[in-house]
Amino acid sequence: MYLLAPTVVRVAPEDFPARIRARFAAELRRAGRFAQLGLLGAQACLDAAGGNGPLGVLWATGMGSLHATRAALDEDLKRGEPAMPFAFVATQPHLAGALLAQRSYPVTRTACLYLAPGAWTSLPQLAQHWFDECERVLVGWVEESDAAGAAHRSDWCLLHKTLVPGAVRCERVRRPQNAAAATGEDWIPRIAAWHGSADALVLRGGEDAWSFTPDG
Amino acid sequence: MTGAFVRATALASALGPDLDSAVERLAGAPAAPLLNTKTGGAWPYFPIPAAEGDWRRRTEAIARSVAEDLRRKAALAPAQWANLPCIVGSSSFSVGAWDDGGWAAIEPSFEFSRRLAQAFGVHGPVTAVSTTCTSGLAALDIALGLIAEREFLDVLVLGVEFCNRLTVAGFAGLQLLSAKAARPCDRDRDGLVLGEALGAMLVSATPAPWRIAALAAGMDAASITGPSPDGAATAKTMRAAMGRAQWESTAVDLIKLQSGGGPLTDLAEARAVREVFASAPKSVSLKGALGHTLGASGPAELALLLASLARGHVPATWGFATQDDDLGLAPSGSDGAGVRRVLFNLSGFGGSLMSLALEKAG
Repeated sequence: MYLLAPTVVRVAPEDFPARIRARFAAELRRAGRFAQLGLLGAQACLDAAGGNGPLGVLWATGMGSLHATRAALDEDLKRGEPAMPFAFVATQPHLAGALLAQRSYPVTRTACLYLAPGAWTSLPQLAQHWFDECERVLVGWVEESDAAGAAHRSDWCLLHKTLVPGAVRCERVRRPQNAAAATGEDWIPRIAAWHGSADALVLRGGEDAWSFTPDG
Repeated sequence: MTGAFVRATALASALGPDLDSAVERLAGAPAAPLLNTKTGGAWPYFPIPAAEGDWRRRTEAIARSVAEDLRRKAALAPAQWANLPCIVGSSSFSVGAWDDGGWAAIEPSFEFSRRLAQAFGVHGPVTAVSTTCTSGLAALDIALGLIAEREFLDVLVLGVEFCNRLTVAGFAGLQLLSAKAARPCDRDRDGLVLGEALGAMLVSATPAPWRIAALAAGMDAASITGPSPDGAATAKTMRAAMGRAQWESTAVDLIKLQSGGGPLTDLAEARAVREVFASAPKSVSLKGALGHTLGASGPAELALLLASLARGHVPATWGFATQDDDLGLAPSGSDGAGVRRVLFNLSGFGGSLMSLALEKAG
């Protein structure tokens, strides 16, 4: 498996609406804030990676759309209006994949996982399972800001079944030694910071680890 | 072809607090859904018959009851049970707690799922997944990956959807609900009736009566809230499942339809069935009896269907009375003795599609 275009997107909450309008021309209909945040990073990753072929969209989060749900419902309740369709809010993560598909990407499947911080290693593992149906899997970790001064985070990379130019080899390490501990929130930023180095990077989550090696 | 089997199932649903009572109830006369004042309106709803009270305590009690039933049927050694990983699929997770306790009562989805796993008495890794109404089968898909990689030999899969008024309000706001009853595939169908359920499956590498032959996922992005009317993406997903299972279309004995009584979604699925099958096999929908249990519907409907087949019959499709010629489907109860291969469809918001191929082992 090969990894391409590690992409780190940080957006200050106050800048978020403008960033969305700048990237997508308008706020996305029926997509709440969390779906739009996911889509912003996913789109940036795909822009950097290029390519085509059947695409899976697999992302994870700790808090999910909880903050966006609260914001949306508080807003509706303040106005005395019925709550917006909760099914849309609850399923925000899934909708981002559908929105990508509507932008002409050949999305074949999508899922959002809620994981413990150290369980990020299950993302590349599940992506491998998805290669039965997809040639590429867009993998992300997305968190909304939950504190003053903190940015929204939408980090993504593209995993390829086969070697493509510019990609690094990505392999599971069963008995990790000298692996650096990483969390869901920082494993993609660490790969992005390392990207271009000649040395291998080994990151651990829980008892599992993955190595990233420049190919050739 | 996967090497995974359905070792045991359990269910709490509107049909009863456990799977045996649900199967018996399903074999009897159809019951109407209740008017659901708890969800803040007059929409019919299929609640689990459990003692009312604090949302968290009620859901934990339901979980413990289902766990006890599943554990008894699974017959694992205590240490094996305790080490099981747990994959939870849902579209609403703990949002129902908001009805009682406001925002402070809502847990992050992972924390809710971990608490659910604890109620089952399992302490392996917990993963929660949401893919709208297909979430329960998405959880099964993750379990199949763990078994294929030999990470685990047995995996607990839960599909969970508990009563909450926000989900009902959302579906009502989209004008997707029926004011009367769910009538899957019926000429007079006019919308969904929602329900709550906790469906549980123990998926295993150890051979059991039903093998999971294949599970295929698909995407229909025609609309965020409904399928493309031509059913093409659904047909493609069904074909993918059959292809991976190495089945010809003539090998399918029974289709468990997604159909819940939505005018357009039922039509799209029927068109897909007609495209895939020269002559449609027997079919059944369980949403007239359970309601549409959203993220729980995969494990919940699978548990109910396999338990009915184990008793030798394809259950009746409650709510279906008059065939719609545009659909050309007439789901009905029948002898289930000859059913060896089942195609099991689910679809959901965001164009999520799944088709599961199940076959009798041996």
